[in-house]
Amino acid sequence: MTGSGEKRWQVSEGDGSLWHPSRRGLVMGAGGIVAAGSLAACGSGSAPAPPGGSTGAGGAPKKGGDFRLGVTGGGSKDMMDGQNIVTKPDQARLVSAFETLLEFDDNYQLQSTGLAESVEADNPKQYTIKLRSGITFQDGKPLTADDVIYSLQRIGTQANGLTGFAATATMDIKNVKKVDNLTVQLPLLTADSTVPQTLASYTFGIVPKGYSAYKGDPSTQIGTGAYKLKSFTPGQQSVSERYAGYWRDAYFDSVTITDFSDSTAQINALKGGQIDAMTDLPANQVQAVKSSGVEALISQTGGWIPICMAIDIAPFNDPKVRQAMRLIIDRQQILDQIGSGYGQVANDLYAPFDEGYDKSLPQRTQDIGQAKSLLKSAGKEGLNVDLHTTNGASGMVELASVFASQAKAAGVTINVKNDPNYYGDSYLKLAFSVDFWGTRGYLNQVQQGSLPNSPYNETHWPPSSGEGSNFQDLYKQALAETDASKRTEIEQEMQKAEYDVGGYIIPYFNSLIDGHSSKVAGLKPSKGTLNLAGFGHGFRTIWFA
Amino acid sequence: MRFLRGGGIVGFIIRRVLLGLVVLLLVSVIVFVSTQLLGDPARAILGRDATPDRLAALHKQLHLDSSKVGQYFHWLGGLLHGDLGTSLASSQPVTSVLGARLANSAVLVVLAAVVSVPISIAIGSYAALRRERIFDTVSSNLMLLLAALPEFVVAVLLVILLSTNVIHWLPATSPVPPGTHAWNYPSELIMPVGTLVIAVAPYVSRIMRASMIEVLESDYVEMARLKGLPERTVLIRHALPNAIGPVFQVIAINLAYLAGGVVVIESVFNYPGIGLALVDAVNNHDIPVVQALAMLIAAVYVVLNLLADVATILVTPRLRTRL
Repeated sequence: MTGSGEKRWQVSEGDGSLWHPSRRGLVMGAGGIVAAGSLAACGSGSAPAPPGGSTGAGGAPKKGGDFRLGVTGGGSKDMMDGQNIVTKPDQARLVSAFETLLEFDDNYQLQSTGLAESVEADNPKQYTIKLRSGITFQDGKPLTADDVIYSLQRIGTQANGLTGFAATATMDIKNVKKVDNLTVQLPLLTADSTVPQTLASYTFGIVPKGYSAYKGDPSTQIGTGAYKLKSFTPGQQSVSERYAGYWRDAYFDSVTITDFSDSTAQINALKGGQIDAMTDLPANQVQAVKSSGVEALISQTGGWIPICMAIDIAPFNDPKVRQAMRLIIDRQQILDQIGSGYGQVANDLYAPFDEGYDKSLPQRTQDIGQAKSLLKSAGKEGLNVDLHTTNGASGMVELASVFASQAKAAGVTINVKNDPNYYGDSYLKLAFSVDFWGTRGYLNQVQQGSLPNSPYNETHWPPSSGEGSNFQDLYKQALAETDASKRTEIEQEMQKAEYDVGGYIIPYFNSLIDGHSSKVAGLKPSKGTLNLAGFGHGFRTIWFA
Repeated sequence: MRFLRGGGIVGFIIRRVLLGLVVLLLVSVIVFVSTQLLGDPARAILGRDATPDRLAALHKQLHLDSSKVGQYFHWLGGLLHGDLGTSLASSQPVTSVLGARLANSAVLVVLAAVVSVPISIAIGSYAALRRERIFDTVSSNLMLLLAALPEFVVAVLLVILLSTNVIHWLPATSPVPPGTHAWNYPSELIMPVGTLVIAVAPYVSRIMRASMIEVLESDYVEMARLKGLPERTVLIRHALPNAIGPVFQVIAINLAYLAGGVVVIESVFNYPGIGLALVDAVNNHDIPVVQALAMLIAAVYVVLNLLADVATILVTPRLRTRL
């Protein structure tokens, strides 16, 4: 046990001097500082919540209580790993115990409020990570460069099968170097300006050297986070207790995460006071639960459910057919019917929170006449296609059915194929399919889904000739480009190609709707991927009023 | 066919047990064949990451690469040794995955039986005695109404009434924390047990009423009354034993139904029993768990029916002496 375990460091986030750097602002060229948020050591009690205050009951945060969270989507597949998840309750467990080097704020902007004091680009192909001193793991051992190296290499080892592996493609993972106890040098194979964003993804949790996933012994799950795992039964429940040596403030004595098989029981438990918060409140319940002291937290995210057309498979190898499909869809109706109106109409482009998101491209709207004449000139009148979907994320099956009914107006017959074996059997090989994605920055998303070597490229983008055929070159240029405005230009050229001839139909960006009891304070909407504002930022910025 | 007869009640039980084993063997074939229709568990486990290499590796790991017949006998052999295999979703032995959940479900079913059987026999008998008077009319119609409501509707109504909207007396869900026992949380048991009682009682009480009316109209009951026996004795010593025979069958079928039908109740109350485990296992294509639960529920049916037959025979001299 080192003395630093007793020392309390705190990031002052609510003192008005907060600097809101964007990702573009952060990367200031070779040698520029990537992130250097305002860090102040404070003794006690300053506002812990992110700027902007909180919904619900206000007042100074109070310590105490067992925070009981009900989560759907779990089951016997539940697991615990500081760098991996299978189900939704796993996400909540992960962020309760593990933290990342950098963090996203509620605006989906990078902040250096995490374990790293700074992440600097020494040159486009090398980053230096400086750790905050005085941070300890839940067993009292201090966080050091060795732990960070182990963590990055664990993700970068393909055999480990971790979620973040694909994102380490640009990292020279074998040659991550320790400079001193609190400094790590991360060399890259190719220039990649998205490394800071990658390091802030929740699946890039920092684990202690020698760490391995949960296999029955809770004491192996040691992170730097606010809550230490005490017991865990997959499919049912996990209980974590506050780590006394945590480096920031956290208020609950313990956090209990309970699996629910369906949302009716979850809502009843919340109304009846058996849980304090729940994930994924059905949109039609938002008004209904109010009378029972339950509040809804509605967060607009950058998540999307695309209809994917493979640009090299007939009939979608003809850009006119793709264009026609994009004119057939009524985006607002889809948002109203599937998202119950909670969300934002999209324009066939992804990553809406990215600085480079091109808002200047005209919003596509339904135009059946134009769609029909496009199909006619393509010789595809009365088109009949199968649209494959599965129950992979909420809305995937409904989207396919609603789109099929909209297509009838243009004389197009869409046969919805709901296939439980969709992922694995035919995924990524289909001409016409539905998929789902969470919030990401533009270039991170391109790397995941729109390049020839992307792990999940449903549309087989980019095309081999014509507009968009230079997409991969542009991507590489953008990764290496250190000037923010020049990179935005490149990204907008990429988006223009996807907008004109791409294979995605993106109807809307969905919202996360969660429920919580009115005695939970500190929650406010967040643009991030995780429910309940990143589960109350690892259950540390929320408390019982 | 002499071996199929004789031996009195013991011989009867032995024959029925052997017959039950044959039934279970047939069930095992049906279960095995039908669970193959759930799809490839390796694909279900890997989800979006199911690449051909990873699929092949996982098939090998799960012994899914041998022939179907080989897989069946491998599974059946394990079953006979009490080895139910390993859950594909959680990589834990099926016995340890289901052990605690089985106990939880058993608590629900047994409590429901203990409460509902005496109540419904009493209601049915009393209604028969008061035939076509107020109690009979009210209870018969009420039971008909309850029988017409699906369990989940009853459960949701109970939750609205007692937990969330009208009064807040009882917990709305019953998430027995792992490592503890359901009977440590009596208040959490009231709602699910109550729902099950309401689901079972109407059938049992109606058949009890019908059976009792038939017996009360019989000559020997009239004889007993004419002898001047007190009504209590007539009812309990003479009428009840003869009326209850058919009721055993209905109780057995209802309890067996409960063993499989708790799925809905467990889902509504988030009660960690085998019902929730079954739903989860089907969603995850977790074939070993689905197979184990299907066999278990089939075994419960066989055992309960056997018990009902034995009980019926024991209370019916006519049948008993024929053995």
